[in-house]
Amino acid sequence: MFRKKDLLIIIPFLAAAGILALWFGAKPSYGIAIVEKDGKEVCRFDLSEQKTSRIIDIGGSMNIKLLLEPGAISFYRSDCPDQTCVRTGRLTKPGQAAVCLPGKVSVRVISDGNSVKKYDGYTG
Amino acid sequence: MLKKKKIAVVLALLAAVLIFAVPVCIKYSRGSKAYETSGYAMGTYILQTVYGENGREASDRASEKIHNLENKISWRINSSEIAKLNKQAGKGSTAVDKETCSILKTSLDVAEKSDGAFDPTILPVSSLWGFGGGKPHLPDENKIKSAVGLVGYAKLEVGADGRSASLASVGSGVDLGGIGKGAACDAAVAEYKKRGAKAGIVAAGGSIGVYGTKPDGSAWNIAVRDPDSTDDKSSAMGEINISSGFVSTSGPYEQYFVSNGKTYHHLLNPKTGYPENNDLISVTVTAENGALSDALSTACFVLGRKKGSRLLEKYGAGGVFIDKAKKVYVTDNLNGKFKISEDGYKLAD
Repeated sequence: MFRKKDLLIIIPFLAAAGILALWFGAKPSYGIAIVEKDGKEVCRFDLSEQKTSRIIDIGGSMNIKLLLEPGAISFYRSDCPDQTCVRTGRLTKPGQAAVCLPGKVSVRVISDGNSVKKYDGYTG
Repeated sequence: MLKKKKIAVVLALLAAVLIFAVPVCIKYSRGSKAYETSGYAMGTYILQTVYGENGREASDRASEKIHNLENKISWRINSSEIAKLNKQAGKGSTAVDKETCSILKTSLDVAEKSDGAFDPTILPVSSLWGFGGGKPHLPDENKIKSAVGLVGYAKLEVGADGRSASLASVGSGVDLGGIGKGAACDAAVAEYKKRGAKAGIVAAGGSIGVYGTKPDGSAWNIAVRDPDSTDDKSSAMGEINISSGFVSTSGPYEQYFVSNGKTYHHLLNPKTGYPENNDLISVTVTAENGALSDALSTACFVLGRKKGSRLLEKYGAGGVFIDKAKKVYVTDNLNGKFKISEDGYKLAD
């Protein structure tokens, strides 16, 4: 016969499992932003860990600056003539990328294991 | 009594294990082994994700193939076959290899079937505008008129031997910018197959090629960029699910400039020499060949929805046309494969 006393054993297990499940499964996650210059990685940022907004000076021939925000990264400015990189806007999901072709600087977001890569690629 | 109690405790423990294990398993299954690389070629950013034990080798070899292809077909590279062909315009034929020849043939086929809406000999016009390299600007009107006279796919001939090509008029020139990124996807996918990769996806600018079956067995989920997003321009307006093949999108929203309050984009009409301004803001094409999907997306943008749809029928290709009112027209062969994911867009009846 199941008794109320048994709950004293069961509940702590369920509570511990629930907390661990939340920790691993439900933690907000946006992915890792990888910044590359001339095809080589220069830095990476965990977008989920960003608590404040700041400007990252990448420099180079186009004097590129990135804007790193909680959960997002974008090209803040570039001296390139076409401004395609700046117009790409904020990257917030794994699989997204923005590129400054004249400056040969790219930013792409990859999954950190927790974040779901919703799309395998972007066309357009 | 004691037995029932033990069963209850065991069941509770099992439940606890499941509650913990399921999210953890999901977490690690998301991060399936994949080799991801990026680089620059064909005047654009190339992103590859290749699955399988030899994913790295397949990806590296694909990168080499794409660079080799660029060295053959880019008119900007002086030593390329296309640059030599352009220098030889009006003077005779130039040797080209099998791959270049195949791309030229595809471009001529699309040019003919689209009645010149896509034209590989657009270089005299495209070089004036400066998109894709230089500083884009509004060219002199008279220069555009003169340049349009030099454009015409009938001037380009591919030798019957499949090893040579020629341009009939001095001043004519080939620009494969409207097909090269798709051709780069073809080259990468061929390499994934050759190297025995389990699966892979390559993105070259607006073109994408997929190969094989993803580790989780699901179809490749390709986002169609939202042409009208305000803040997050890398967001999607919809998605296409494909198990194989290629996808390309042409839209005026990426490469453009504003001069005297007017916007000029890079999708040029070969017959007028000016950016095509019709009712469309984006065209996405799916095909079994990357070069074809790329050329067709450009051709369809210039042709407009109705003529573009008829062109796609000739190739058995699929299409998603988006107009300025955000109405989305999808060809029948993409029914069930495309869906809208962004508010504001509506499927046309």
